[in-house]
Amino acid sequence: MDSPFACLTLPARLDSMQAFRDFVHVGAESAGLAAPETDWLDLVLEEILVNIARYAYQPGTGDAEVRYAVEQPGQLRVEISDAGRVFNPLASDPPALGGPLAERPIGGLGVFLVKNLVGSLTYRREQDRNTLSFTFPAPKDGG
Amino acid sequence: MNIEPTELEKAVVLKVVGRMDAENADEFHQACDRWIAQGTRHLIADLDGLQYVSSMGLRAFLAVAQKLQSLSGSLILCGLHGLPRQVFEMTRLLSLFQLYDDVPQALAAL
Repeated sequence: MDSPFACLTLPARLDSMQAFRDFVHVGAESAGLAAPETDWLDLVLEEILVNIARYAYQPGTGDAEVRYAVEQPGQLRVEISDAGRVFNPLASDPPALGGPLAERPIGGLGVFLVKNLVGSLTYRREQDRNTLSFTFPAPKDGG
Repeated sequence: MNIEPTELEKAVVLKVVGRMDAENADEFHQACDRWIAQGTRHLIADLDGLQYVSSMGLRAFLAVAQKLQSLSGSLILCGLHGLPRQVFEMTRLLSLFQLYDDVPQALAAL
């Protein structure tokens, strides 16, 4: 049985973040999720939406769309999309996490965090849109 | 997010309370830069009240720590716990910082 997606489209800007957060929290609540899981969900949303706001439409502007559906109790399916340039964040190399402080690169940690916090993360490009789809929270490893 | 500075003899303590995210991480970065520009070489970030940090916050911590290290100074973290601590752990940043439970311990180590 397919769950219908709830959907919100707003300008891809940092000042849309709070509205996107509030929107997804409604879904999280109906899935039975609470803090601290909702804080981790905020982090996932922020990392993806910041990338869209900073890079997808540069130097122009555009929208971001966030959709969610409660897949089962305790689990959300979330999809975040934009109509900006073709970009698959999952194809980027993982950041260098070793080495001394002076050599630690400052970027690349956002996508890394997302990959660690969600399940079934996929990217697709269809109808001129980039879409990241994932389940939240990530499935627990056995034990 | 609220940042409350306290100037001490050996260091400046920045008490950070709330959520550090893409919208305000720059405020922390700029506050640190102002103290560094005034000659401060040891900054102690009191993070007991920090509830949330995203990668934009991590960038700020890293950039400030790297700058202070290049000036023979340090950014010391205190009271890191909960989600922020787990984010530092996940990104393997914890080992790059001097960490203390609280400010008195950090001051004693300077």
